[in-house]
Amino acid sequence: MEQLRRGGLDLAILLAVADGPRYGLAIIQHLEAFTDLVVGEGTIYPILGRLTKEGLLDASWVEGEAPHPRKYYRLTRSGARRLREMTAEWRGFADKIDRLIAATAKRGEDRL
Amino acid sequence: MNLTETGQSRVNGYLFVLERSLKTFLPTDVVRDAVREIESHLRERIATSDGSPNEREALERILKELGPPLQVAKAYSAERIVDEAIATERFVPMLRAVRHLAVTTVVGFGAALGILIGYLFGLAFLSLAILKPIFPENVGIWVRDGHESLRTEFPWRLGGQFPIPPGEHVVGGYWVIPICLFLGLLVLVLNHRGTMKFLNWWRNRRVS
Repeated sequence: MEQLRRGGLDLAILLAVADGPRYGLAIIQHLEAFTDLVVGEGTIYPILGRLTKEGLLDASWVEGEAPHPRKYYRLTRSGARRLREMTAEWRGFADKIDRLIAATAKRGEDRL
Repeated sequence: MNLTETGQSRVNGYLFVLERSLKTFLPTDVVRDAVREIESHLRERIATSDGSPNEREALERILKELGPPLQVAKAYSAERIVDEAIATERFVPMLRAVRHLAVTTVVGFGAALGILIGYLFGLAFLSLAILKPIFPENVGIWVRDGHESLRTEFPWRLGGQFPIPPGEHVVGGYWVIPICLFLGLLVLVLNHRGTMKFLNWWRNRRVS
């Protein structure tokens, strides 16, 4: 489950910035609003750093918008491509598991 | 919520521990950026907190949600550890990366096992080279008594035995030392290169 959560977290973060740039805390709040993937707020920043290093996100500091500077993340072209691939992979994976669950449940009902 | 001097000290202490921990494995510019981002997170959380029931408890709640500084540093380490090993090509970061992959993935566990065996082989050869001049009768190529030629004693058994087993003795002389040194260094170098190739493959696999 931990591996699944970690894999899902990359996808969730890319989705969080898909419709426009967001800063770290806004990404966390977006993820918390829709998922329970965030187990510790501090663990999201290293992932954002890695995704930036991998060229999937672009990061830039914005000053003057708030009393403190905010680091905004936006999806790069390569990030958008990766997001499309990951979304398709995730849907395919979820469909297969759903089919397996349905088939197992049906066999269980038949036995009863 | 506006922080008092005590609250500010608590935040500074948190950031200090985080910075010190990150500095042990990350470049200075990356550490500075990471600490700045975590500080920005804390400032925003503090600014939007109503400070109930009191500053101390509200601040501790915010810090708890962020996670202890060592845990946050560990999360950075987990994300950057492979990159660090590849960038530096140093032995310790490489072992740290392999250990991390071994405890988090099945492929990493298998690779770590192979890498460990490789290093043990290399070190074993080097140990023989060191032990041969000290214990010449116990280290070398072993043959059964009466078999003085390596042609009649195959497969060859190279190693050290303490005490000498009955009916066996070593043949050859100190020429075992350069051979063991060569084989030991060769195995260690090949194993090190293999490990770097594995880490590169792992990183590319993660990126693609």
